[in-house]
Amino acid sequence: MDTQTLVETLKLERLEVNLFRGTTPDEERKRQRIFGGQVIAQSLLAAYETVEARACHSMHCYFIRPGDPDIPIIFDVDRSRDGGSFTTRRVIAVQKGQQIFNLAASFQNEEPGYEHQAEMPQAPPWETVEDDMEVRRRHNPSQEELDWIDKERPIEMRTVGERQDTAAPEPREPRQQVWFRARHPIGADPRLHQVVLAYASDMSLLGTSIRPHGVSWQTPGFQTASLDHAMWFHRPTDFNEWHLYVQDSPSASGGRGFNLGHIYRASDGALVASCAQEGLMRMRAPKPA
Amino acid sequence: MSETDTPEPMDLLQSLQLERIEENLFRGTTPDSQPGRIFGGQVIAQSLMAAYETVEARICHSLHSYFIRPGDPTIPIVFEVDRSRDGGSFTTRRVIAVQRGKQIFNLAASFKDPEEGFVHQAPMPPGPHWRDLPDEAEMAREFLKTAPDEAKRWFARPRPIEMRSEDARSYYLKGPAEPVAQNWVRCRTPIGDDPRMHQVILAYASDMNLLSTAMRPHGVHWQTPGFQSASLDHAIWFHQPTDFSGWHLFTHDSPSGFDGRGFIRGALYAEDGRLVASVAQEGLIRMRKGADPKA
Repeated sequence: MDTQTLVETLKLERLEVNLFRGTTPDEERKRQRIFGGQVIAQSLLAAYETVEARACHSMHCYFIRPGDPDIPIIFDVDRSRDGGSFTTRRVIAVQKGQQIFNLAASFQNEEPGYEHQAEMPQAPPWETVEDDMEVRRRHNPSQEELDWIDKERPIEMRTVGERQDTAAPEPREPRQQVWFRARHPIGADPRLHQVVLAYASDMSLLGTSIRPHGVSWQTPGFQTASLDHAMWFHRPTDFNEWHLYVQDSPSASGGRGFNLGHIYRASDGALVASCAQEGLMRMRAPKPA
Repeated sequence: MSETDTPEPMDLLQSLQLERIEENLFRGTTPDSQPGRIFGGQVIAQSLMAAYETVEARICHSLHSYFIRPGDPTIPIVFEVDRSRDGGSFTTRRVIAVQRGKQIFNLAASFKDPEEGFVHQAPMPPGPHWRDLPDEAEMAREFLKTAPDEAKRWFARPRPIEMRSEDARSYYLKGPAEPVAQNWVRCRTPIGDDPRMHQVILAYASDMNLLSTAMRPHGVHWQTPGFQSASLDHAIWFHQPTDFSGWHLFTHDSPSGFDGRGFIRGALYAEDGRLVASVAQEGLIRMRKGADPKA
């Protein structure tokens, strides 16, 4: 799926003033459950459909139940407030009468004011980092893996550092850096750049808290899932440009890993967004014999 | 000794208690209800309490909230709980706080049973120990001699949460500073044995002084004439249980200020170095239109 197809399929059908319907892209229907970034992106779009002119500066979401890729999702928007400076919205995503996801978000007009930001950390330039899929291609993929590698993807990702052997992972520091961008043109609408960035921000972040523990998604019995996702859009950006996604995990405990991400624009080092996510990370209890 | 300078604190936990109106509907009030607006930490704490009233046994591991409208301290707040899910491993709740028919606040939270598993944490950063820091009342004494009346009134209020820091109170600063700060915090009034209530009090305290870290690079604070600040959102991740009657190191840093908003991350460490919670908040930081920042 190219970026335009992604953007087109994320778009929603309006059923009523505050009620929308979305579907999962055809190519994603084989998944067991809907990719979290898709529901985040669609919920943000649903909220945007009810907001005049203002831009989203933050959103907070919970993944409540696994989404079913084969059936539509209903997005129910609550117009919590239209204030003088801020607009607040809540969105509930529903399938089969049950909440699968919720999002709260806030929107604001641009206003000039105080400015500061953390400096972009040192990283090898994106030009020198190999594409994640090319790295996989060099590591003796099976035909099934090759078919997967060859698929067209809306987001281009280049992970800094040596590839983790997912079959026999070694413990590493709970931090990583990923270069990423939308592979094909998103267009001129700044809201769609936020939406695609939100979609992409759910990729790779949870992996950070797993790194110290010598496990991967291939480890038998290992279970992982996004629990929540928060995002602050600090500055507008063009997500067709390269961005550095700097991730660290300050904590894992009680079957949960906590991750922070900061997204910097390559061209000028601007901090454009921050993310926070907690994920489930546990070994399934062995099944009784 | 300094205790005599500080008004006897109200029982914080008691003041946050809710009345159950219906199964999923609760009512709370503001203690010490002076005109103005409700302290954000109170609404976070009461909303978490409301959610807990509808959850069996499980413990909160995260909450996300928005401040939607200023809360009026002179009237009750109604908390409406949505039982989003009671799942096999997780319980999810949403709470809306309402006054005069309008949403003033919302919160979403998730709860689960404790379990063993993978463990890692960032080490507690170095810094002055609470024992070596002056009591807040001592620090305030000099400052209050020349402080505006509003600050004097604020300092005269009961202070169930004790805070100690070298310079985290931005109104002591003489000019711009790095957007990082450390506070030692604890609750001075009884919390009891219920681990959930320690979370509630921690949540209350986690909204204190956090936003001022984003003001530091700009040489302004909440007493600067014409300056306007307000918490916009607040998120907490409870990593490990803790006894909040004991001292905790609350570290803040602000990675971004832009477009009238400051973003702050916080981490709460128990005295033994365990990372017990992480916090994130965005707040409004701006000069009112037409205000002269140098006035």
